[in-house]
Amino acid sequence: MTAKFKYGVSLYSFTDDLNTVMTLEDAMAAIADMGATGVEILGEAHIPGYPDPDPAWVDRWYALLDRHALEPTNYGCWIDTRLRLDRPLDSVTAAGHLVRDIDLAARLGFKFVRPKIGVVSLDLVPDPIWEDTIVRALETAERRDVVICPEIHSPTPIRHPVVDSYVDFIQRTGTKHFGLLLDTGVFQDRPLPPQPGEHPAMRPGYLDGCKVPPEHIEDIIQYVVFIQAKFHNINDQFVDEQIPWDKVVPALKKAGYAGYLSSEYEGERLPWRSLEQVRRQHALIRKLERDHDRSIRPA
Amino acid sequence: MLERSIMQSSGFRNIGPTDAPSGFQLRVRLPNYRGQRLSLVDGVDVTVNGERFDHADNLIAVGGKTYDLATLRTETENRWPLDELATVIVAKPGGLSVGVHRVEVAVRIRQSYIPIEFQPSVISETRTATIVF
Repeated sequence: MTAKFKYGVSLYSFTDDLNTVMTLEDAMAAIADMGATGVEILGEAHIPGYPDPDPAWVDRWYALLDRHALEPTNYGCWIDTRLRLDRPLDSVTAAGHLVRDIDLAARLGFKFVRPKIGVVSLDLVPDPIWEDTIVRALETAERRDVVICPEIHSPTPIRHPVVDSYVDFIQRTGTKHFGLLLDTGVFQDRPLPPQPGEHPAMRPGYLDGCKVPPEHIEDIIQYVVFIQAKFHNINDQFVDEQIPWDKVVPALKKAGYAGYLSSEYEGERLPWRSLEQVRRQHALIRKLERDHDRSIRPA
Repeated sequence: MLERSIMQSSGFRNIGPTDAPSGFQLRVRLPNYRGQRLSLVDGVDVTVNGERFDHADNLIAVGGKTYDLATLRTETENRWPLDELATVIVAKPGGLSVGVHRVEVAVRIRQSYIPIEFQPSVISETRTATIVF
């Protein structure tokens, strides 16, 4: 028996639909309808009254989870290092923000917290306060049994000093409450279509794809606690036009990944398009997983 | 539910005395995938029928408070949530004429995880909108 993926959806997928054509109730019903079991949220996006939601909203959140048999997976937050124009954010203040998010995430039942950390360079090196910030928040993560997981996100590939510094932190501290979140956007191997009015000379290279070979997953798999299944467009012929799932799924299976694949649709924002796209992605990845498992079953 | 476009149809109106408006206002939703503290919002440019009203001159009202650009930039506690509209207040003696106008809004936001060279992010959208009276 090989390890099975768990299937989830990030509410990020429904950006622009939520609050305009879709309610939280609609979104959760739709996630359950496609057979997924996990729901991922962004704290300062999907929690009314963030960071202090009304207790009645928290009750409703749990009632919705119950009704649709969903479990909370990952909770996204931000370390807003440019919060002040007059001075940089210090790690004590940043840790205060992160601790507040960990507490709120745990209150809502989440197991993973992804802080998106401010950067200090063109190649997205995180602000050096990240490490002291995490150290200061780690006790809360342990007490709340939450894993803090910064993301590996395009254009930063898997083999990169930023990823090395996170792995080094895990190895040095031996903590079980800090891990890696892998965003499948790094495997994009075909270009995104040009945006309206886009000038070819001004186009950032990463839009053509980070093209990380899926076998690089092996390098870091022991530290990967969560995967955001980033994608942009699955066409009517049932082909993902950017992410090579036919290579990514076998690589994840070979690595023994048994955690969540949480859909992050990041394509065109036309009303309701996101939902149909996420359903296509679940159908596609589930099919590839089934095909893979059948192919290795002993005769 | 909010309107899909950044600028909402409702809330577009002249302000000040009816016979001598001092300007106009309009409502916008935050064109981002997350809410954010107000110091990370850097104002809203408004252009009506080609006449530009700079973000540095416009006021923004959100969460029951009205901010000029300087106070907005130092507001590190109060937030602009995704499910709330902000009102942009524009000074224009005489206001706008009754009828249909071509309005561009450009919301300027600062995101810590994007290299500073590419900040602020400016999200703009043009639509027609109507002053009723």
